[in-house]
Amino acid sequence: MAFALVLAACAACTDNPRGGASPEEDPVRQPTGVIATDPAASRGPAPETAGAVPGGTVTVFRQTALARLDPQRIYSFMGLSISQLYARRLTTFADDGSGKLTLVGDLAETPGTDVNGDCRTWEFRIKENVRFETGAPVTARDIAYGIARSFDLTLAGGPTYLQEWLSGTPQYDKAFDFEKDKAALPPGVEVPDDRTLRLRFPKAQCDLPFAAALPATAPVPAAADTGLDYDRAPVATGPYKIEGRTGDTELRLVRNPQWDPATDATRHQYPDRFTLAFGADPVAQTNRIMAAQGPDASAVSFDGVPPSLLSRVTGDPALDPRMLRSQTPRLTMLSINTRRVTDLSVRAALNRAVDRESLVKALGGAAVARPLTTLLPPSTIGWHAYDAYPKSAVDVAGAGELVLAHADDAEGQLAATSLATGLRAAGFTITTKAVPADNYLPEIQKADNPWDLYLDSWAPDWPSGAAVLPALYDGRSINAEGGNNGTSYLDARPLDAEFDRIQALPIDEQSPQWAALDEKIMREYAPVVPLYTELTCTIRGPSVGGLFVDSVFGSLAFVNAFVTP
Amino acid sequence: MSFRLRRFRSVLAAAAGALLLTLVAAAAPLIAAIYGAGPQDTFADDLDAYGMPYGIAGGVSTVHWLGLEPGLGRDLMIQIVYGLRTSLTVAAPAVLLATALGTVIGAVAGLLGGWVDALLTWLTDVAIALPLLLCAIAVIRPLELAFYGPRDAVPGTFRMTVLIGLFGALGWTGVARLVRGQVRALREREFVTAAVALGAGPGRILGREVLPHLGPPITAGAALLLPTFTSAGAALSFLGLGVLEPTPDLGRTIQRSLGYLQTDPAYVIFPGLALVLLVFVFTVLGESVRRAFDPGPGR
Amino acid sequence: MRRLLSRVAVGLLTLAAVSVLTFLLFFAVPRDPAAAMCAKSCDSARLERIRAEWGLSDPVPVQYLSFVGRLVTGADGCPAPCLGRSYAGGEPVSDVLAHALPITVSVVVPAAVLWMTCGVLLGTLAAARPGSLTDRLVGALSLAGLALPLYLVGAVLLLILVYGTGTLPPPGWTPLTDDPGRWAGGLLLPWVALATTLAPGYTRLARAQVGDVLSADFVRTAAAKGLTGRAVVGRHALRASAGPLATLGALDVGAALGGTVITETTFGLNGLGRTVIAAVRADDLPVMLGAVLLGAVFVIGANTIVDGLQAVIDPRLR
Repeated sequence: MAFALVLAACAACTDNPRGGASPEEDPVRQPTGVIATDPAASRGPAPETAGAVPGGTVTVFRQTALARLDPQRIYSFMGLSISQLYARRLTTFADDGSGKLTLVGDLAETPGTDVNGDCRTWEFRIKENVRFETGAPVTARDIAYGIARSFDLTLAGGPTYLQEWLSGTPQYDKAFDFEKDKAALPPGVEVPDDRTLRLRFPKAQCDLPFAAALPATAPVPAAADTGLDYDRAPVATGPYKIEGRTGDTELRLVRNPQWDPATDATRHQYPDRFTLAFGADPVAQTNRIMAAQGPDASAVSFDGVPPSLLSRVTGDPALDPRMLRSQTPRLTMLSINTRRVTDLSVRAALNRAVDRESLVKALGGAAVARPLTTLLPPSTIGWHAYDAYPKSAVDVAGAGELVLAHADDAEGQLAATSLATGLRAAGFTITTKAVPADNYLPEIQKADNPWDLYLDSWAPDWPSGAAVLPALYDGRSINAEGGNNGTSYLDARPLDAEFDRIQALPIDEQSPQWAALDEKIMREYAPVVPLYTELTCTIRGPSVGGLFVDSVFGSLAFVNAFVTP
Repeated sequence: MSFRLRRFRSVLAAAAGALLLTLVAAAAPLIAAIYGAGPQDTFADDLDAYGMPYGIAGGVSTVHWLGLEPGLGRDLMIQIVYGLRTSLTVAAPAVLLATALGTVIGAVAGLLGGWVDALLTWLTDVAIALPLLLCAIAVIRPLELAFYGPRDAVPGTFRMTVLIGLFGALGWTGVARLVRGQVRALREREFVTAAVALGAGPGRILGREVLPHLGPPITAGAALLLPTFTSAGAALSFLGLGVLEPTPDLGRTIQRSLGYLQTDPAYVIFPGLALVLLVFVFTVLGESVRRAFDPGPGR
Repeated sequence: MRRLLSRVAVGLLTLAAVSVLTFLLFFAVPRDPAAAMCAKSCDSARLERIRAEWGLSDPVPVQYLSFVGRLVTGADGCPAPCLGRSYAGGEPVSDVLAHALPITVSVVVPAAVLWMTCGVLLGTLAAARPGSLTDRLVGALSLAGLALPLYLVGAVLLLILVYGTGTLPPPGWTPLTDDPGRWAGGLLLPWVALATTLAPGYTRLARAQVGDVLSADFVRTAAAKGLTGRAVVGRHALRASAGPLATLGALDVGAALGGTVITETTFGLNGLGRTVIAAVRADDLPVMLGAVLLGAVFVIGANTIVDGLQAVIDPRLR
């Protein structure tokens, strides 16, 4: 112990001189997204990854265990990433890791056909030779069954786009009772033959091909559906299948011999297996990967390098090629409760007064977060930068006392402390209120919550403004119990028509319109104080390659991963 | 003789240390005023782009004697001084509460015997079997809701009060056991039997005959509670269940610092040493006190 | 025998009290687990359905009784003792506990052997030569050990032994039956850290106990009769001090089996302690109840064993 103290004391004397090298800014990655029109783009095999060799085990570290495997119930970043290995969907993104996104057919031959050109009827033709791990062919009926079971509230947890769009109501469980007749199909779902799936919507849903890329469209063989327990061992269609798990400690995936690369435009099957190891915190993960001993040499950290180790990791040029850094579409904003703070000038003043620099420093600096002044994340197709309220001295008259609520976990406390300090310096009277972390989201999602300001975050499910602006700011979906996904409770009638108009446009014409609406909402309503987008900054072992940060969720993508001996 | 003397000297040193730490904790606001930095003052300009303090050993300078906290950039020495204050403000009243509870329960059980004794002994079992952490989480929220409106700031002192109550409510078992044993032993002694024979009631016997003899077991049982509660408070904070920001707290500071063991070791060492020193000094003091007062052989 | 039976009865009563208290503590907050289970765009009708399905609309006493009922008689597809399913995701609670318990047991049991052996050995060594350099060194070290928090010791050990020199494999969990070598390798550090923080208590107790016995008359007589120092310590001193040491040991092990949260957190092991914390934070009553009851079983079991041991060691208590 004494030895350790001496050792530590010596290390403590290291100098961090002023004016040293600053971390370089990663360029803003602006995705260009298209929906593949050529069916060839949806055909396999996927182009080979440079340097890839078969064999080996990729280990993925994450602190908390992956809770969900059931494709209809997955909605976590890791679930979305890992499920790509075993659960194929109707459509998926071909992603080169630099922002060039193409939506292609996955189980379907194309990313969907808009039958009448009105976005109301979509048809998918299922590929030949796609099989479950059991060897049984995947049929349109299996996909329809997967969609049907997502209507079951017992199996809730996954996205709800399809259910709401098909039934035309947020209370989709009333429109279709899965429990009553498991062989029935939900409203609007038709299976004319084994290889055709048709979806009819009461309203135009031009974003459907994007929504179909979520794992909720993965097929489930009705005979294998064990309800809640299906979560333990979903039947695989991708290049890997679940071999087993050891409690909350380890999950093992092995190759699925029934997967045919000729049918898959985006996935590979290089490593023999993937092991997900749960428990170690980000500090331990980073240290183990830096040390790279034994199996850790082909490991990667899903949680990323913690702020406390950033200067160590980035200070070592030898580690630089092993870093994976990229912007993500994950937004954090200070929601302003527009029901309480009704004065636009106060909301504007908050925007002018906020100290994003200190906040980003407190969270770990430029490698962890990038300040943001727009409602859309830079990873949205068509995004353009603007700052409606540049930092300046403000008049806080009329603001009164503002209560800032935050989660009582470490990060929530840190961010709130930093924000409150900045706003107080500008003259605001701020009270901070800690809310139990597990209760925080449900509390701020209540339309009648008692707070003025609170930290909220959002990650769009596909890189379009349609997955952000209507989701967060369409006042029509606010009801007595709660509301849309936003927490500023902006209910502005003039915006309704805008949302409807843009959403009915063909998908490639929407992007510039969303970007314009972004700025309009900010200038005319200032419903939130945009704060930052998260950056992914993680580290891999020296012998694992082909990993990249995906352009849709900003998580690690494993489809090209390989291990060098 | 020389061994005795040396032990006496170490006790003196521990007592002096304990006094010093208590004084520092008590005078925290004064120290902050003279030193020129408060617990909420941030010095973000002295941090680099990663939020790490500029300069040697985590930003140690003539202005910031123990450097700055990475990220927020608060003065570390002031955080530690106020952290000591938080620790002792929780631990000391909790010791009094636990001791009082333990004395009453132990004395009643020992004096009355029979089913009351059995019941109270059983209560001790329940108190031991209930996990402190669970109670901490379960109790804090309803109490907060009961005392503070949804828009009221909850002052740091509130959580501290809850912790005092919690440590008191679960920490009395040791004292109770010692006191019960002593009281049962006393009950058999002549002077008590004589008092009973003379028709004295239980209250009178407790007050006149038994309590005066309970000083040593109570002191012995309570002696080590202070370091125990200090450690437990820090451990709760380490798990994120103790005192919250912006109230400074040693356990929470250490928890946050551990990740910086490689990048800013000074940030770990200073608050770590402070906590170890605090617990150490009061353990030495408690051990000597207990040794001096323990009624039984050994522990 | 009768003593044992009554002890078991009291133990069951304690368990009942703990379960009632946990229930009360959980519902002390006006909370609604159904709201957390309700999907997005939740409405009151859907809430009602979920409440009915999970029995959450019943009054709390009824919920408690049905919990006890399931525990004793079992339920559909869930044989007794049925602890129900987790609110968060529907996994059977028995599965959750069955995954976490082996980890905690693997951490605690070998660590207990280590901390007791080291603690008692050092204490006895010190007591054999009162006032010697060894005695003072052991005394000072054990005091320091009492003051060192496990999370600090753990972090420093990790940095030096695992990340720095690579002497030890990173802490982790492998089932003993899969690979005993990896099992031991992954748990070595938790054992050492736990022993470092718990052994000092035993050292001090052993020092005091053995010291007392060694200065007692019958031991002096034994020494005078020509028994060697080692024989005196072994035959008389340790046996006489076994009672208090065993008591402390059983209580520590019982408490630790209920979950060593700090150790599990420091070394990233998903044992019982972390399971309880996560369940409480997630308002997951079934998992919380199951884990707390399991922990209480260990504590009460340890208490019962201590009582039995004392009766064996000290015949007056029979």
